[in-house]
This record gives sequence, structure tokens and C-alpha cells, in this order.
Amino acid sequence: MNVEYKRKFTAVVTALALVGIGVVLLGRDRVNAAGSGSITGTVKLTGTPPHMRGIDMSKDPYCVKQHENNPAKMENVVVSSDGGLQNVVLYISEGLSAGEVSAVPSEEPTVDQHNCMYSPHVVAMDVSQKFKVTTSDQTTHNIHPLPAPGSGNIGWNKSQPPGAPPIETNWKAPEAISVKCNIHPWMHGWQVVVKGPYAVTDEKGNFTIKNIPPGSYTVTAWQEEYGTQTAKVTVAAGQPGKADFTFKAK
Amino acid sequence: MRTEALHRNAVILAALVAASVTACAQVTEDQQKQWLGTPAASSHIGHLSGNAKAAAGDYRRYCVVCHGELGDGNGESAQWLDPKPRDFTLAVFKCRSTPTGTLPTDQDLYETIARGLDRSNMPPWNTFTTQQRADLVAWIKHYSPRWQTEKPGTPIEIPPEPEVTPGRVKAGRDVFARVQCWKCHGAEGRGNGPSASTLQDDLGRPILPYNFAEGGRFKCGSTDADLYRIFMTGLDGTPMPSFADNIKPEEAWDLVMYLRSLQPFPSKEKAIAKSLGLTPVSTTSTGP
Amino acid sequence: MVSCRRFFVAVISLSCLLASFTPSAQALPAFARKYGLRCSACHEAWPMLNYFGQKFKDNGYQLMNDRDSPIWQNPSYWPMTLRITPYFHRESTDKLPDVVDAPGTTNPSFVRGLTYSGFDHSGLDILTGGTLEKNISFLLVPSADETSAFHMESANVRFDNLFHSSWFNFKLGKFELDNLVSEKRILTLSANGGAYQLYHFIPAGDANIFGQIGDNQLGIEWMGHSVNDRTRISAAIMSTTDGSPDVPYGKNAYSGFFAASQAFDVGKLGTDRIGAYAMVGQAPTVFLTSGGVPIPSTGTGNKSFSREGFVGQFYFNKLNFQVVTQHGTDSAWFGAGFGNPIDNPGFPNNGPGVTLPAGTRNPSWNGAFIETHWVENPQLVFIQRSEWVHMSQQSIPGTPSNLGNTDNYVFGFRYMPLMNNRAGLAWHNEYAWIRQRGTALDGSDTTSSSVMSGLDFDF
Repeated sequence: MNVEYKRKFTAVVTALALVGIGVVLLGRDRVNAAGSGSITGTVKLTGTPPHMRGIDMSKDPYCVKQHENNPAKMENVVVSSDGGLQNVVLYISEGLSAGEVSAVPSEEPTVDQHNCMYSPHVVAMDVSQKFKVTTSDQTTHNIHPLPAPGSGNIGWNKSQPPGAPPIETNWKAPEAISVKCNIHPWMHGWQVVVKGPYAVTDEKGNFTIKNIPPGSYTVTAWQEEYGTQTAKVTVAAGQPGKADFTFKAK
Repeated sequence: MRTEALHRNAVILAALVAASVTACAQVTEDQQKQWLGTPAASSHIGHLSGNAKAAAGDYRRYCVVCHGELGDGNGESAQWLDPKPRDFTLAVFKCRSTPTGTLPTDQDLYETIARGLDRSNMPPWNTFTTQQRADLVAWIKHYSPRWQTEKPGTPIEIPPEPEVTPGRVKAGRDVFARVQCWKCHGAEGRGNGPSASTLQDDLGRPILPYNFAEGGRFKCGSTDADLYRIFMTGLDGTPMPSFADNIKPEEAWDLVMYLRSLQPFPSKEKAIAKSLGLTPVSTTSTGP
Repeated sequence: MVSCRRFFVAVISLSCLLASFTPSAQALPAFARKYGLRCSACHEAWPMLNYFGQKFKDNGYQLMNDRDSPIWQNPSYWPMTLRITPYFHRESTDKLPDVVDAPGTTNPSFVRGLTYSGFDHSGLDILTGGTLEKNISFLLVPSADETSAFHMESANVRFDNLFHSSWFNFKLGKFELDNLVSEKRILTLSANGGAYQLYHFIPAGDANIFGQIGDNQLGIEWMGHSVNDRTRISAAIMSTTDGSPDVPYGKNAYSGFFAASQAFDVGKLGTDRIGAYAMVGQAPTVFLTSGGVPIPSTGTGNKSFSREGFVGQFYFNKLNFQVVTQHGTDSAWFGAGFGNPIDNPGFPNNGPGVTLPAGTRNPSWNGAFIETHWVENPQLVFIQRSEWVHMSQQSIPGTPSNLGNTDNYVFGFRYMPLMNNRAGLAWHNEYAWIRQRGTALDGSDTTSSSVMSGLDFDF
């Protein structure tokens, strides 16, 4: 198991290193202009989307009641009728200046525990950006993020009974952090921490990464089941960069 | 299977995201050797000072079989044990006086060694001298990079224990109901709440909530203050969360008293609960 | 008369030496398997216990982590350990009664030595032990000598931590006496070094076999200890049978064994312990006879004996010392050869009209041993023991004052190439030398030595 991890890990690091070298070789021809360009695009899923099975919430009658009329389903892969893939995180993996990378947005993303599900299922944030975990349920949850060992993030485990105040905190290192609630084992979500500007696709698979100065970038798209894809994008002054991604259903 | 796949994804993806910045997610033996020489590989418990290098022999003699040569919890016995031995490279510990997500104090580790962890394979190593324990604490700290960069959390403050009164025991029951301890521990504290059977520790292994009615020692001690500390700091690495944000210190003592009344031993709390005719909390509420 | 007694002494000494071939020591990988710990967790060097192992034993083979009850074990777990030691040895004795040239002779001129060598194996210990339930422990040790003749070395049940107190533990059956330095955990194995002389010492001509604190005894024991085992105390009442079943000796003969010790932390050096023990008992001298042969279980006319001394364990990091002293006294009757005609029908029986030879006194002696261990690491230990037992008063007036004095020196090392949580293997090497004053037929000293090298293993 561990060996397997290590092997995969090595492969991933090598791949990333190659990408990095490539980017360096291509050079940086970015115009150093203040301004807020953006990168937009759509993420689609081709092939038959996997079946999202229903969730048995019978361990907690409160949760069952909340879903009387809208049965709960898994949210690992949420696809719109025209193939738009929701909950994909997009971020700039190459091309940002140090200052742009370290800038921390002031707005606070929020993940709410609503009807015994995480809403949204995937929340993205910048390193050190404050975010909130709230609850609107009348049942006790525990929020238990499980960062990977050595990621630079340290896990914790806090309860939120009904009416509890929000938990306000941040993460120190980029990482897709798996979050769960032990009391309701079906509750699983992601807190995706990235460096620099980011976006998460909406229900149609559309996204816009804002506040991008003109330049050449590598955009990475992350999806919890399908991993990552990258694309090269150039943002010119007054003209948003365009990056579309297509994941293939397994 | 499902969760395992998720977990694996989580690890790989985390590595992906982190790789360009973080050098390596694995702790190597060479790194640990280096940390052995750092100030972090020492301990201070009262006026006792522990030196990691002095514990090498004891670690080999007593600990390595479970906790492993690299302190990663992969000793030769680990495969047979449940719960698994602590992975010192993560520096995540159940028994802390410090808030969830922080490093424990030297004192916390020192006490855990002598206390052991009931219902696990960790016995009380109370035959060690205080010096041996202090040295072992220092030794444990050379395994994880966290001790190099982080300071232990600030221990939570525990106000003096108030006198047991019927009002407090009753108020404790209200806290028990409000924060829904029963979800896991059951309405009567028998460790049989609706979520009990699905609980998993951070390694994804089944784990049971404490059964108050059985009356064994708590994971992290046996005193009222130990009980207070457990639910206010949480048991990191397990499903037991910290309730520090949602239970005020006064209420915490109330809860301690109510929890005592659920244990099988004769106690003032139990007598009060009986005379008040306290019944198990309701678990049928489905909210508004 | 004197030479006759010497003959008995020689026989008894020899049989003692031969008996000590069986290690009957206790090191149970069955426990290691149960708990996933290595030998080294409980044994300073197996089978010698360390403080943690002593506490484990004092808790009734329990770690006290609420996982001691057998219900927590995998159903296929079977708490059994086998131990045996194949080895090569060379034994040498300088004086033996020469039974070939003149059977039964007591003529001092027929004295010769014997040296032999060869491959051999020890007796077999089948060690089963553990818990029947939380706080109810057992130990059963069917043990075979080298010829596969079995006996029960141990067979007891223990109720632990009664009233939730570590001060109340009761054991019933055949058990190891609560010796701090127990012969059942001795680190030396050879014919001349595998036993503590103090624990089996019997003066020349004395017939009291019942004061052997190295032997397991049948009885009941109360034992109490502090939670961290720093303070230990015990009292046992045993039948005076030296552990033999069927009460073959006295009708109503009992002995007591008492031990107490206290350990102290000595900073960076470790933990030291000092204590004291005493065995006091009575054994019969008068037996009914049938056709002149004494009848078992008929013994009356109890006479008393005692053994008492101090015990210490001193640690200096890798170096540690075990020190045991003893003062022993027997009734003059035992000194005159009374006490055990059951095993030795030639011995006198205190029948009607028998009187103690005039001037016979209570034999008494003093002894001590110092055993030194250098524990280089849990897998390599060097051992040295020096032991001296000297008579302070002979029973029969006119007996040479040093008759029966014993000096024993043992050197050895044990290297354990493997140390895991399942089994133990030790390459055992030992040299032992022993001298008994005046016990040869011609009244001179008997000197014997052993050299052995073997593989001590249990699993």
C-alpha cells in the first residue's frame, strides 16, 4: 500500500516537475499591467456519468425528514443535462507572480451544513484565506477535516450542535482536504486550498477566475473523482482567457 | 471500499496540489536523525528535563514493536492491533490538555505513557522512572516535523470544580441533550447511539464510543477534570470532536456531573440523578 | 556413621545437581503473542523479569489496559509456550563413590573422578498461562524431565485485584514462591550453575528437603502491590511437601513464606529494589511404618525450620546486581537425618523409643550470592554469579565446621539473535564451578564443573 503510494507520488512529482520546466522554457511574456482580467470556461464530462446512489440517512431521523421530498444523493460527480460538471476547482498553477500568489482575498467562503449535507460539496479557498463553517441543521454535526500527513495542514475535529456559532479558520498549505462528519458518515465534502485566484464550477460547469493580470498561465482543473487536468491560457488586456476542460467518465 | 478510494484520492490529490510547494510528504529516517539533535527533541516536565538520546534503549526495548523504528506506528505488531499504534510522525494525539488540532504539552505525553490507553494495546508504563518517561517524551518528539515548527497548544483552562448539586446534574443533562452526546454515546451513555456503529477513526478503522455504563477508565484518565478535558479538547485522530466552542466552562462541569451519574459506581451524582428521577434524554426529536 | 552420612550427602548433592538440568523457567511468548510485545518488554533478558514484567506478573498476567480478558483474543489464540534447550556439555566431578569397583563401598580409597561430554537436551516445559476472565488468571506448567517423565511444575488459579485493589490478590495451587530473585527466571542453565545453591541448600547429613525456596510449592498466597509495583508484599501458606502432590509426608505440616520489597527511583540510573523474605515451616519426623517401610501421609512429630534473608536489585544503567542473603536453621532432628524416610527409606524414623543423639544441635548456616548482569542490549547479556553458603553450626558435635560449605561461581552470556513478538531464541554459553567442602568419601572437597553451549528456545 505504502509502496504504491510512494510510486504514485513519485510519478506525480516527476510529471509536475516536467510541466514546471516546460513553463520555464516557454518563458514569461506577460505584460505587467495592472488590471483585472479573467479566465473563463466550462468543464464538461463525456461518457456516461456514474450513478450517484441515494443516501440512507436512517441513522438520524432529522436528516431523513429534511429529505422527505428531495431524496439525497451522493455528490461526487454532479453533471448537468448538457454535460456540465459541477464542483470542479480551477486555479492557476503556473504563471502568477509571487505577489499575486501571496495575496489573500478578503471575502470568506462559507460551507454550510444543511440538511445533513455539505453545501457546497466543494469549497475552494486561498492559502490563509479565512473561511466559515456554519450549520443550519437541528442536529449535531462534527466537522472533521483530514489533511494529508506532511501537507502542512493540521487536522482538527469540532462539534457544531444546533444553533452553534460559525467556525472561522483558515488553512496554511495548498491541499484538497477531505472533510467528514463522523456522526453522519455519509457527509463528505472538500475544502480545496490553492495558492492564488481560483474558481469553482457552477451547476452548468461554468467558471470564471477573476483578478488575473494579463499574461500566460497554466490553469489546473481539479475534480475529486477524476483528478486534475491542465491547460495553457493567455490573458490579454481587456480580453478574458478561455479554458475549457473535458473529463472522461471512467 | 468507497471511503478507501476516497481516501486514496485525497492523498494523491493533496500531493498533487501540494507538490509544487511542499518538498515531500514522507518523513525520512535521515530527517529524524537530524531532528534528534534539535532542541525540539527534549522535554520539560516540571523541573524534570528529558533528553531524547537517553531514551533510545528504552524505545527499542519497550516501544518499537508497535510504534516502529521510524515511529510511524508500523511496528511488527501493528498489523494485529486495533486501535492502531500512534503514528508519531503525524504528532496527532488523543490525550491533550490543548485545543483540537494543536500539539500536546510534554506533560500530556508524559502522563499518557504512565497511564496507558485503556481498551487499546497501550499498557500503563508506570514502572518507568520519571526520568525514563521524560526521556521517552523527548524521543517521541524527534519523529515528527511538527515539533520543529509548531509549539504545543495552550492548555485549556479548567475552573475549579464546583460542588455537585441537583441543579447542576440536571443542567448537565440539558447539555447532554443539547450538544447531542447521545448521537454516539447513546441516551443512557451505553456507547450505543444511532451513529455508534458507523464511527471510524482517522485511519478509516471502526472505533467504538465510550460506554459510560460499563464504567471503565476514560481514554485519558479517570478524574472529573480528565473527563472535562476530554470533551473540551476532543480526542484527535478519533471521531470525538472538541466541544470547546459550544459548551461554556460552567456548563462543562454540569455535563461532567451528569456523565458521572451514567457510570455504574455509587456516587453523589448518581444518587442525585436517582432522587430527581432523571430519565435518559429524548432521541426522537427531528427538529422543527 | 560419619562416612555413611557423607555417602548420603554425595547422593543428595548429585541428585540435586541432576534435577537442576531441567530449566523449568518461565518466559512465555504466549503472552508476547497475546499482547504483541517483545520479550524485552517484560524480560531484562529472558527469562529474567524487568520491573514491567514483574508488574505484569503481579497483576496476574494482565497489562491492565482493559484488554486482558480472553474474550478480546482472536479465537485461534491458544496461550501455550514450549521451551526446551538442546545443548552440548562437558561435566566434570573430581570425586565420586566408586560403584563399579566396589558397589556400595564407603571405603575412602575407592574415590575417583569422572569427566564426560556429549550432546544433550534439557527437560521440556509446557507453559500455559493467562486469564480465564478479567482479573482471574491461571498458570499451568506440565514439565518433563529429560526422560519425558512429567510432573506439574505449576498449576494455579489467581484472583486478581479483588475489591478493585491491587493489594488483594489470592492464588491457590502449585506456584512459584514470591521470590524477588526467582530461580524460575534464572539466566544460567548448566548442571552446576542452573540453580541457586541458597535456594536448595541442605547441610551435610540433614534430611530436611522442605526448605527449598527454589521449588514451587502447593498452597495459597496473598499478594499485594502498589499500582506501579514499587511496593510488594506477600504471604503464603503451603503444605510442607516441597511441592509434591498427594501430601505424602506429614498429616498436618504447613510452612509459610513471606516477602516484601520496596523499589526506589535513582534518577538516571533506573530503579533499585530492596526487600526481605522468610520461610518458616514444620515438617514431620515420626512416620507409621508397614513392614518397616514408612507410610506416606502419616507423618507427625513436626519439627521446625526457617530460612530468611535480604534481597536487592541494583541498577547502574547497563550493569545490574542481584544480591540475596540467607540465614537458615533446621531443627536438630533434621540435622540428625530425620525428616524424610519416605523418599529415602534408609533414613532414620523417629519411631517409638527413638531419641536424638546426645549433643545434637540445630544446624544453621549463612549464605549469599551476587549475580551481576551486563545487559549490553535486550539481545545480549553477560552473566556472572558468585555464591557462598557456609555452615555456622553443625548439627553433630565433632563434625568438621566447614563440612558441606558450598562455593559456586558461574560465568556466561546469552545472545538472542532474534527478538520479536512471537518467540525467543538464545544462544546460551556457560561455565560453572562448584566446590563442596568435605563431602567426598575420603573427607576431602568435591569439585565439579560444567561447560555448556546450547540453544535455548521457546515459542
